[in-house]
Amino acid sequence: MKNQRSGLVYSAPITLWLTLLFVAPTLIVIVYSFLKKGIYGGVEWIFSVDGYNFFSSSYFLKVVWNTVEISVIATVITVLIAIPTALYIATSKYKNFLLFLIIVPFWTNFLIRIYSWIALLGNNGLLNNLLMKLGLEPHQFIYNKFAVILVSVYAYLPYAILPLYSAIEKFDFAIIDAARDLGASKMKAYTKTFLPNIKPGVVTATLFTFIPALGSYAIPKLVGGNDSQMLGNIIARELTITRNWPKAAAISTILTIITVIFIVVLSKYDKDHKGGKV
Amino acid sequence: MKKSIILILMLLTLIGCGKEQKNELYLFNWSDYIPNEVITDFENETGIKVITDYYSSNEEMYAKIKAGGDGYDITVPSTDYAEIMMKQGMLEKIDKSKIPNLKELNEEIGSKISFDKNHDYIIPYSVGATGIAVNTKYAKDFERSFDIYNRKDLKGKMTLLDDMREVMSSALIIAGHSPESSDPQDLADAQKIILGWKENILKFDSESFGKGFTNGEYLVVHGYYENIVAHMTDEQAQNMVFFIPEKGSQMYIDSMAILKGAKNIENAYKFIDYIYRPEVYVKILDYLETPSINIGANKLRETKPVYDVEDLKDAYLMKDLGEALAPQSEVWNEILTQ
Amino acid sequence: MNKKKFSLNIFILTLIFLYLPLVVLIVQSFNSGMGVAWDGFSLKWYDELFNHSARLWQSFRYSILIALTSAIISTAIGTLGAISLQWYSFKHKKYLQVISYLPLVLPDIIMGVSLLILFTSIKFKLGLMTIFLAHTTFNIPFVLFIVLSRLYDFDYSIVEAAYDLGATEKQALTKVILPNLMPGIISGLLMSITLSLDDFVITFFVAGPGSSTLPLHIYSMIKFGVSPIINALSVILIAGTIALAMSTKKIQKYMVN
Repeated sequence: MKNQRSGLVYSAPITLWLTLLFVAPTLIVIVYSFLKKGIYGGVEWIFSVDGYNFFSSSYFLKVVWNTVEISVIATVITVLIAIPTALYIATSKYKNFLLFLIIVPFWTNFLIRIYSWIALLGNNGLLNNLLMKLGLEPHQFIYNKFAVILVSVYAYLPYAILPLYSAIEKFDFAIIDAARDLGASKMKAYTKTFLPNIKPGVVTATLFTFIPALGSYAIPKLVGGNDSQMLGNIIARELTITRNWPKAAAISTILTIITVIFIVVLSKYDKDHKGGKV
Repeated sequence: MKKSIILILMLLTLIGCGKEQKNELYLFNWSDYIPNEVITDFENETGIKVITDYYSSNEEMYAKIKAGGDGYDITVPSTDYAEIMMKQGMLEKIDKSKIPNLKELNEEIGSKISFDKNHDYIIPYSVGATGIAVNTKYAKDFERSFDIYNRKDLKGKMTLLDDMREVMSSALIIAGHSPESSDPQDLADAQKIILGWKENILKFDSESFGKGFTNGEYLVVHGYYENIVAHMTDEQAQNMVFFIPEKGSQMYIDSMAILKGAKNIENAYKFIDYIYRPEVYVKILDYLETPSINIGANKLRETKPVYDVEDLKDAYLMKDLGEALAPQSEVWNEILTQ
Repeated sequence: MNKKKFSLNIFILTLIFLYLPLVVLIVQSFNSGMGVAWDGFSLKWYDELFNHSARLWQSFRYSILIALTSAIISTAIGTLGAISLQWYSFKHKKYLQVISYLPLVLPDIIMGVSLLILFTSIKFKLGLMTIFLAHTTFNIPFVLFIVLSRLYDFDYSIVEAAYDLGATEKQALTKVILPNLMPGIISGLLMSITLSLDDFVITFFVAGPGSSTLPLHIYSMIKFGVSPIINALSVILIAGTIALAMSTKKIQKYMVN
């Protein structure tokens, strides 16, 4: 029979691992955020809340707004594309092959793919050259918000497709047919049976896209411009260029807290789907 | 099940097994800074295996070492970070008797390192300057100064380095102030100048300016000569002018430093002394095409550098900003987000 | 079915979107010149790759090694963790629920530096092992949530049925639960491999001297222009993976399921 002790056995590896290798570093970050900054970087072991002054910087709100705006838009687009894509894969005879096909591009290095996008979207790039050949005006496709959103969607698609695939795959599509037999329209059949059923997958896909997007800085640095400075850029600059470790730690701590609140709220909204059996 | 566990354990052992080798030297260096030939020749002559990891900015290198990344013997900081590392006790004091070839150092350059005049902690590796490259096929009649960044006809086709120190220092000097100033009015003046430039540039770029210039994406770039010409065709080279601006120019001296706690100090000395051999350093000169810090090598070199030591006499050699770092960074952040 | 056609169309468009940069990449690997403009067909980058790039291959090997091991371990840990969260109660359950979200949240540069500080403070030598530990750590939440979303509507009655038929806990796990979780586990595995292969920032900070991975190697080439050798390597990697997948009989059988 099921052993209650099993709960401890199953959960021990993950709890131990995350505590040692994740909670500990996070505590370091939080502690550092309350220390005095060392003149040459690093910290001095003196209590200080100076790190949390970042709110007063004039550019801070603008950057936060950019970050949220870009992350939300990128997430919405990504998830909207991911759902039908994952649906097609999950219902296909060759599902594992198709899944594999989707993932393989992401095993080429990230930087290379970004450079390929720059070659496509750049002012002297393939797309603009094509436009000019067609007699059209060249357009600024890169080093702006548009490019950051486009490349973010590109980068995060597998993060959304995989969990959605996992959730959709177990859906019994016979339910749809049954609903239609009972007279429901196709639209209604999908919205009332399919979508609610895959909600955990959608939530996971959203989390997997939105949260990394909030902290991203490589994409805005490489293809972004003046209108697309994100929080990650500020944190990276504070850490490396300004060498203000407490400030970088403070911004990260606040970001972490806000995201945790967001996740907790989202999972409470989702709690009717937790089918726990103990 | 058992087979997979064994497989996993084997894989883990592969990871866990550090190769215990004897004669080694660990370098933490800028990418593409030492030609492979020099390293291989050194390895063949001394039997010391040289293992290099790379960084592309002083900041990354410093952050890693400061946070505890050890295991390297030699690193190559620029002057501002060399000063910081020295003050923080991160560098070994150098026993100059172990580097006899140090006599080849051109003191005209060596003496510019005000915080280590006697070369007790850092040994210069190379000297150079940040310049501006212009594609003369499309841009003509320009002054050899930062003023090119005020030209509206080149709008959207230029880049400046994504480097606060470089751009701020230049703007401050042009505004007639000290590049190490923290005075709000001085910084405001510099900010105004930079914002004026910003209107005409496509982006701030520290990584792809060389590639972008060669691709024709950018017509005017701010950066380092070796990166810009790295993959140029001869035809493109003919249509390019690289100059060091009359006012506001920045020079750099990158130096070899032995990290405190280095495990292969004797090998490090051998390496540094080897680099200072004129016949070796001349290979580095051919590779980097920079002015020479090595007197003997300068006599041997056949290629002429694009700019020489005389061109650097007005250039600013970066020092650590100390307390001025924070206010300047704030202004920089404002500039980037406007 | 209209819905089927719609999702097929989206799928095809997505595939095009995903493969577009890849096409550029593959074409560039055969481009004689280094710029965007086509300079003539050439295999010289492949020649460079196979004959003059020992360091690159070493970074590549390390990347694959770490990607596979961290993916396997994180999938195992994450799957067990998901099972424990879904079906069991234990003293530290609330704690686990909170900390399992966290690795998603922290920006990677902060995670990299703080892990480095941690390793240094306990005097843990930097090397491939520290990279492995870091990668496994950030992979675990991804596996956890993918498997969890699969567990939400898992029909537990089949497990109970197995117990009723006399199965031990181990048998229930290996013969009933895991096979049914397989799509989730495979997704988690694929996700982990992908995340690990591409990680740059965290790896930069926790790597030991000489333990360069592919992303580190590539990043170090940026200023001078990333050589098309990398494009050639990527083409080999893609072709090799697809060939491997197609040729393995077992996988083939699984594919057509």
